[in-house]
Amino acid sequence: MTAVPLSSRVKSWPVWMLMGLIVVVLLTIGATRDNGPLTQSERIDAISQRLACPTCNGESVYVSRAAAAESIRNQVARDVSAGKLTDDEIIAAIASTFEARVLLVPRATGFDALVWVLPIAVAVCFVTALGFAFRRWRKNQGAVPSEDDVALVERLLADDPTDEENV
Amino acid sequence: MSNKRVAPWIAGSVGVVLIGLLVLLAVAKPSTDSASSPLLGKAAPAVRSTTTDGKTFDLARRKGSWVVLNFFNSTCVPCRNEHPRLLEFADAQKQSENPVELYTVVNDDSDAAVKAFFDTNGGDWPRVKDDDGAIAVAFGVAKVPETWVVDPNGFVRLRVIGELSRGFLQTRIDEMIALAEASS
Repeated sequence: MTAVPLSSRVKSWPVWMLMGLIVVVLLTIGATRDNGPLTQSERIDAISQRLACPTCNGESVYVSRAAAAESIRNQVARDVSAGKLTDDEIIAAIASTFEARVLLVPRATGFDALVWVLPIAVAVCFVTALGFAFRRWRKNQGAVPSEDDVALVERLLADDPTDEENV
Repeated sequence: MSNKRVAPWIAGSVGVVLIGLLVLLAVAKPSTDSASSPLLGKAAPAVRSTTTDGKTFDLARRKGSWVVLNFFNSTCVPCRNEHPRLLEFADAQKQSENPVELYTVVNDDSDAAVKAFFDTNGGDWPRVKDDDGAIAVAFGVAKVPETWVVDPNGFVRLRVIGELSRGFLQTRIDEMIALAEASS
């Protein structure tokens, strides 16, 4: 029995199907997994990590020891203890007074939405351009020469002094 | 459609998007230290605290008067620089028929340090404690000094970021009072 080369086995479609299935299953598990109820302290930390310190460069409220960050962290703790607002509502309330300066994750509305939309738009343009390029290359590859083309090549080959048959 | 026909459309679309972005950047308001705030024209946040001499302070109970809240820290240089202007402003209110109420909101500072500063530099208006930063967060104050004006109906009318210039606060409040009287 002859051994099938590894490259051929990898290229075979069942392997790719299996890999695709594994990816889908893992993504589904990851997206739907329930982490269970967070403690208040964990909620405060999680929210603080999504808020930027308004007086620091690129530091989250969770990390920063600046007075403004401390005040925001206290506010988050009060809101979490009150138990009336969701995490997103707490962040929105703080962002409404400090404006978008305190959002580490840009909003998906208004001008901020460009951050999310532009990479996708660029990716779509890139894939479309690639598609056009591949189609053109394939078209050129399978081109059938006309009778005139064949005649021209034959005539040139016959006239070519370097051609071995004519030497 | 052939590629030769599609290419100009793609290039044109990319060009339009780029020009749109440039226009957006050109007309966008600068985000640094402007005196804008989502609170302007809206009801002032609920502020309940105590003053450094132990009295209760509730902003909602100050309705009927114009109220100035000055966020302050005794170690901040612009805060120290603007203090003489606040003294002038407070003196002017003592001679006014409808005095504006001035409050200092202590931002990340000790009562003792603030008291020492006021004892040395003058100023007898109330100083509101904000030990947990709740008032600063409610108004979106990240850096001091900042000065806010709340009208007699409890609506936020003015935000001044940074050091006050001489006479600015009085002038702006006089304008707002005149406007309110004209419209009533």
